[in-house]
Amino acid sequence: MESVVAQAGLVLLRDSVEWEGRSLLKALIKKSALCGERVHILGCEVSEDEFREGFDASVNSRLIYHDVFRDPLNWSQSGEALPGGPLGALQAMCRRTDPGPVTIALDSLSWLLLHLPCPALCQALCALSQQHSCPGGGSPAEPVRVLCLLHEELHGPGPLGALSSLAQAEVILSGTMGQASAHILSRRPQQHPTRQTQWFSILPDLSLDLQGGPPLESQPHPEPHTPPVSKGAGARTRECGGGVRDSSHEQRKHPLDLQVDPTAHMTFNLHLSESERAAKDSLTLPFQFSSEKQQALLRPGPRQATGRIFYEPDAYDDLDQEDPDDDLDV
Amino acid sequence: GSTGSIGAAACKNNVTSFQRKGPRASGTDSGCSRLVSIAGTRPSVRNGQLLVSTGLPALDQLLGGGLAVGTVLLIEEDKYNTYSSLLFKFFLAEGIINGHTLLVASAKEDPADILQELPAPLLDDNCKKDFDEDVCNHKTPDSNIKMKIAWRYQLLPKMESGPVSSSRFGHYYDASKRMPQELIEESKWHGFFFPEKLSSTLTTEPRSLTGGYRKLLQFIQNVIYEEGFDGSNPQKKQKNILRIGIQNLGSPLWGDDICCTENCDNSHSLTKFLYVLRGLLRTSLSACIITMPTHLIQNKAVISRVTNLSDTVVGLESFTGSGRETNPLYKDYHGLIHIRQIPRLNNLIYDVSDVKDLAFKLKRKLFTIERLHLPPDLSDTVSRSSKQDLAGSSKLLGPGCGMMAGGKQHLDF
Repeated sequence: MESVVAQAGLVLLRDSVEWEGRSLLKALIKKSALCGERVHILGCEVSEDEFREGFDASVNSRLIYHDVFRDPLNWSQSGEALPGGPLGALQAMCRRTDPGPVTIALDSLSWLLLHLPCPALCQALCALSQQHSCPGGGSPAEPVRVLCLLHEELHGPGPLGALSSLAQAEVILSGTMGQASAHILSRRPQQHPTRQTQWFSILPDLSLDLQGGPPLESQPHPEPHTPPVSKGAGARTRECGGGVRDSSHEQRKHPLDLQVDPTAHMTFNLHLSESERAAKDSLTLPFQFSSEKQQALLRPGPRQATGRIFYEPDAYDDLDQEDPDDDLDV
Repeated sequence: GSTGSIGAAACKNNVTSFQRKGPRASGTDSGCSRLVSIAGTRPSVRNGQLLVSTGLPALDQLLGGGLAVGTVLLIEEDKYNTYSSLLFKFFLAEGIINGHTLLVASAKEDPADILQELPAPLLDDNCKKDFDEDVCNHKTPDSNIKMKIAWRYQLLPKMESGPVSSSRFGHYYDASKRMPQELIEESKWHGFFFPEKLSSTLTTEPRSLTGGYRKLLQFIQNVIYEEGFDGSNPQKKQKNILRIGIQNLGSPLWGDDICCTENCDNSHSLTKFLYVLRGLLRTSLSACIITMPTHLIQNKAVISRVTNLSDTVVGLESFTGSGRETNPLYKDYHGLIHIRQIPRLNNLIYDVSDVKDLAFKLKRKLFTIERLHLPPDLSDTVSRSSKQDLAGSSKLLGPGCGMMAGGKQHLDF
């Protein structure tokens, strides 16, 4: 997970009501801050104090917070509000001139999508994540990572699809039985997209704890969020209600080993032994024009017992050569 | 003597009273043939239309020889834009090899970067060896056993033939290598990178939705006019083709919200763009490739309008990430290719091939397109049941289905 999320570009964290993503976002921010990167945060949904809680002092000092939550429409007319609104703040981040790797966190992209037109937002995100050259020019591309929190239940397939096509990595949060999992789809340019599933948990000090596999409890208890269904289907829903999001099909254990072997209870034998296989391979088929047959035809021997047809026409045969279709039932 | 010199002068200028009336009759060079031969083009064998190669000889064959000059090839992108960008690059690489002028427009990548990533052409002496190698590797013992009984199918012609050393029309490319830098540098190209053309301050309202498209159309028109692709510059000695490549048209990066909502305000900007573009192309010696993320477009009516406004439409569907990746039927292939539309140019009939199920795969070096299913054998030698048997069984099936549980007399076959 580290390598995938650590690459430069746009990273979308798609969360939902059941599996929230802000703690994962904060964990990733803490990780980059501890690596020495500069972290810019555009806070739109929660207040600055609420966002900063959980970070310790060293991390907090490295965070550069741009607050849109307090005064999104700039009503207070004070100098603290960001000029140009949230879009202006994004463009200001595009034009930064300080060197070094930078992580930009948008909390949240859903808020921006609801307040800004989608094409303009896409253009700003693309400009943010693809900063090729400094305004000074000449230096190679610096890795800019843009972490965006997106609440996917708020948006239709259109904006979600448009943003997914821009993202270099997409992390879909789901889980089962209290254990969160991240389904990571990474689309590096010039390479095929790869998928992996990573089980993780966030510790109270906002560090990321990666786990090897799904939790081991085999007894699925009913999810409190499963909507009430009819009684007949109730049992079945409860059984498979453990995985809330069934869009992530890529489980580690493919259910091939649970499949029934169809050749188990047959009354006839489908398998070939080695001698049988050899005999089958050496069989010449009747219409196969093998080399022996070719030789036999080319050089007719004296004792050639090839089949010859002796035909005596009986009374019902019509030997009229001009009408070949006469004996058909048409 | 003097008569001899006058005669010689008259022959040189080709001044006779019989003048062929044509668009180039008054040209400076005495036009000996009307069909000017431009590098990298050939006339179609069906209707004489001038064709250029798309960069993929298999696709040329499916489109009836190539892409007609003055038309648009629209590629519907696959979900992760891996193979459609490859086709885009093949088209541009073919232009560089043939010496055509390129115009590359994109809203996501810098055109200079796109040109750096073009695939290298397979040279004639190496490619045949590599192709044979690929074919030998492909013929596993399994396929030999399969063909033991149905050996007549081996005689069927394959969809695409290997690289022909004498062909100068379509070239094969190695997707794993880059085109040599000197070839790119000596080619002539114009780039249109949309974020650069936007004004430096992004306003909240996208600057009139047709802004990006309008700028692109003006750019294309300027290039066509200044370089004389529409015949407006009569001093031009050597005619050339302009290959236009537009990437990701319709995506939000162009300022169009057609991929974001179903009822967009400016739903006609994309269709207007295509209409004007086609007009520009028809009056100039150019061919255009457009890749469009149609899987993102929410309004299906727009997709059908876009299809009607383009000439040739090819859809790509890759198996990456879908359930078909593990389907044994598709295990040899990377995706399906659908030829959605072929134009009728100066023609009353379509030039459609009879094969509808086509699949593609990207081998180590080659991009091949093959038939997915063989058509059923409808020749005379197939045994058919006679009419009496058919009539008898239909009688049995009629009342027999309902009364299966009842009488046993209908169960004799």
